[in-house]
Amino acid sequence: MEHLSGTEAPIEGRLRLIGALVTLVFALFVGRLFELQILEGAVLQQRSARNSVRTVRLEAARGEIVDRAGRVLATTRPAFELQVVPNDLKNAQLEYEALGQLLSRDPEQLREAVGQPRGRSRFQPVTLADDLDWQQLARVETHRFALPGVETRVRPRRYYPQGQLVAHLLGSIGEVRQDQLEKASFAGYRAGDVVGQSGLESRYESHLHGHAGGRNVVVDAAGREVEVLDEVAQKPGDRLVLALDLDLQRAAAQAFADVPEGEPERIGAAVALDVHNGDVLALVSRPAYDPNDFAGGIDAETWQKLRDDPLQPLRDRAIQDHYPPGSTHKAVVAEALLAAGVITAETQTFCPGYFRYGRRTYRCWKRGGHGWMNVVQALKQSCDVFFYTHGVELGIDRLAHFAKSFGLGRRTGIDLPGEASGLVPSSSWKKEHFHQVWFPGETVSASIGQGYNLYTPIQLAVSYAALANGGKVMKPRLVLRLESQDGEVQTRVEAQQVGHADVTAEALALVQRGLTAAVEEPGGTGGRARVPGMLVAGKTGTAQVVGLERTQGMKEEEIPFRFRDHAWFAAFAPADNPQLAVAVFIEHGRHGSSGAGPVVRRILARWHEEQLAAGPPTLGGG
Amino acid sequence: MPVIDRRSLQHFDWVLAGLSVAVLGIGLLNLYSAASPGTETGLPAMFRRQLIALGVALLAMVTVIAIDYRRMERWAMPLYVATLVLLASTLILAPLTRGNRSWLIYGPFSLQPAELAKLGLILAMARYFQRNPPSEIHHLRELLGPALLAAAPVGLIVLQRDMGVAVLTLLIAASYLPLVRIPARAWTVVAGAALLALAGLWEFVFKDYQRGRILDFLDPSRDPLASGYQAIQSKIAVGSGGLFGQGYLQGPQTQLQFLPTQHSDFAFSVWAEEWGFAGCCVLLAAYLGLLLWGLVVAHNSKDRFGAMLAVGVVGMLFWPAAINVAMVLGLAPVIGVPLPMVSYGGSQLLASLIAVGLLHNISMRRYIF
Repeated sequence: MEHLSGTEAPIEGRLRLIGALVTLVFALFVGRLFELQILEGAVLQQRSARNSVRTVRLEAARGEIVDRAGRVLATTRPAFELQVVPNDLKNAQLEYEALGQLLSRDPEQLREAVGQPRGRSRFQPVTLADDLDWQQLARVETHRFALPGVETRVRPRRYYPQGQLVAHLLGSIGEVRQDQLEKASFAGYRAGDVVGQSGLESRYESHLHGHAGGRNVVVDAAGREVEVLDEVAQKPGDRLVLALDLDLQRAAAQAFADVPEGEPERIGAAVALDVHNGDVLALVSRPAYDPNDFAGGIDAETWQKLRDDPLQPLRDRAIQDHYPPGSTHKAVVAEALLAAGVITAETQTFCPGYFRYGRRTYRCWKRGGHGWMNVVQALKQSCDVFFYTHGVELGIDRLAHFAKSFGLGRRTGIDLPGEASGLVPSSSWKKEHFHQVWFPGETVSASIGQGYNLYTPIQLAVSYAALANGGKVMKPRLVLRLESQDGEVQTRVEAQQVGHADVTAEALALVQRGLTAAVEEPGGTGGRARVPGMLVAGKTGTAQVVGLERTQGMKEEEIPFRFRDHAWFAAFAPADNPQLAVAVFIEHGRHGSSGAGPVVRRILARWHEEQLAAGPPTLGGG
Repeated sequence: MPVIDRRSLQHFDWVLAGLSVAVLGIGLLNLYSAASPGTETGLPAMFRRQLIALGVALLAMVTVIAIDYRRMERWAMPLYVATLVLLASTLILAPLTRGNRSWLIYGPFSLQPAELAKLGLILAMARYFQRNPPSEIHHLRELLGPALLAAAPVGLIVLQRDMGVAVLTLLIAASYLPLVRIPARAWTVVAGAALLALAGLWEFVFKDYQRGRILDFLDPSRDPLASGYQAIQSKIAVGSGGLFGQGYLQGPQTQLQFLPTQHSDFAFSVWAEEWGFAGCCVLLAAYLGLLLWGLVVAHNSKDRFGAMLAVGVVGMLFWPAAINVAMVLGLAPVIGVPLPMVSYGGSQLLASLIAVGLLHNISMRRYIF
């Protein structure tokens, strides 16, 4: 091997070059150090000595959420926090005593909350109260001079003036979680930031949140700002304008609360849609929670209570839960039978009160039978045998095709997180999930909505809106537009048709007649939804919770609450010029008619009042 | 078997040893101060961990010194490939920490294979230039080999999403460029390729917060709260050191932990605050001495492989140090690159001491024929 030393001059020169470059860089560093430490040293040293620079965060107010008329559903108000800087407490014992009196709290508790931090944490303020009322604030402020180390601070805080009323739509806020901070969508966030954790607060987080600003300030030993180094102004979040009609929402919520003496309050969901554009005018889920509980960070006790409540108040039953549709399904089945040509308007079928298929017998809800029925009468009286008979002729796969064309069994695309998909069964679905063939007998139950079918209340509302508007399947529209704080429209959300039901105009007209008869004619099953002065079309439904054998021989009142059937009612109105579609689901409400009917009536009546107040009804569109 | 014959021992490089002990000593002294706030009694936990890492690293260094570096030439490619495999395994095995997958964790031990990949890279580069003397490289196309050698680890590190280290590895490979004899025209191509690579990283690989840090550096008022805050606090810490510093364990910025990563990325600002301009000059002088001595070792090496290896070691120590100090002094954006042998961090210490061990190895055997 060759020896390099001295022999290979070219390399030597280049090594010198590298050495010179490295030395140059280090010389540059020394120059910069000289500038910072010697030339600017005195100033920076002073800053350091005075506890120097603090960064004051200027929190951005979260955007408001308002209903279609501009009524406030969520806003931001100032909240006063009381903080203690442990290092600055001059006479801790006395100050805790005083604070205990001012805040009506146990001084020992306050002392424990602060503890005895060491090191840097001595300088970190500990929050003792996060929302002082005016009296407390005034008391603390007047005694500030005697309470060194105690500070009050104003922070924007979320406030929901409607309380529980719109809870599930708005969702809740909370501190950003560690796993969220690691996601790209939370790039600009810091631990402790408040973000939407569910509902619209979560879905529109990026618009509502705004941008925090900040200020680097030089503070003196007492924490007073003596110099502002730089500042970036905060930018408040955008305002969210919803399609919601707060009056209708209130009427729906009250209908859940108004129950006869001694009965438990209703549990379930109600959805009201504008049939033409899919506007969500009301969306109620009960029981509910108060989103204000989350506004300042929910305390552990309240959270545990909400989480462990067997009635699950945090669930949005209107979109997150799906249930068998019961007889409300018959409207779509009738459309399918007509559109597929299995029946016509004239087809007459005899109902003896039961239907034999293979070796089994399927009962009609009316033991004595309905006699001869056509499709309109069958819908009006909810005759099971009529649908058993022709449902079998249609077959499950054709039935599934038509049901899906109404938007059933898939997410509606409503602008809320966590929507359930529901289920429309077919032979291929069963093969895939159970590795079994579809038994024709199962079609019998499916044709009255008691099989595997599962729909969310919002899906059912969308399908009834399609029945009413000529077959258009609309995406429910929650948000009309986003506005900046000064009212400038940022984004407008257009109504969106996502599908078209596979039906004919004649079929739609017939089914509308049947559904109108069910509510308006004597002998119909939906009479409880009648509203004076307006024709209503609708269908009841009952979803069995347990097999009949569990409750055989019991009187209705004796059946335990959790075994009682679920009640459905879906409707649209006015029947002669449909504008509003409503779906109501009452958990363990027993019968569609008595359980859910009154709620539908309250919503429709309120809407009718609004129309009367607004003058002559407008035609469609919008 | 690894042996150190008497002759090699006689030529033990005391200058090199003295300089590295000085830098390591300053690092430990400084870490003790940076890690002590919040510690009630005894040694700070981070300090203890670093002492253990130092023990392991010294052991590795002695082993590296014992094996004649000329044998390493034969093992250069297998070692290079092994570090690549280790690097690739992180993509599958490593958990996601702080947005990247660059740590292998086994029980209490964690290892950053990217640090070892740098060693593998300089071994492979040295072997390549041993066979293809850089002074005889006159055409750009002859650099294709080294470029591919560098591209493999850099690509894998990019896949781990560890941008700082990827750029660093690329720069270490670039340390060999001053040795080649390509014409001026070719330099523009190299510069263009570098710009293109940076643009690609910016567009496709950097995450928002990383872009943010760079934008913050170019325009500090953009977001004074995020990395702008660190930059301002670092500047105050350094500046308040004055001529002789605030005194050991006395720096208010340090002891109040105004800097979030003062034990690792901002270790130098702790030193600057507590020891002042004088202390900084001592540290920088020791560091510069180490780097220049590395070049002397390269110069005195009796074969090209040793010379090229020594140049690689100098690159490996120079680039992170330069970037780190520039960042602390507000001359570069805040990117998380530690100061080798001074900042807290075991993998970095291990790789640095192995590198220093290589220098000893080459230096000791300079008279063996």
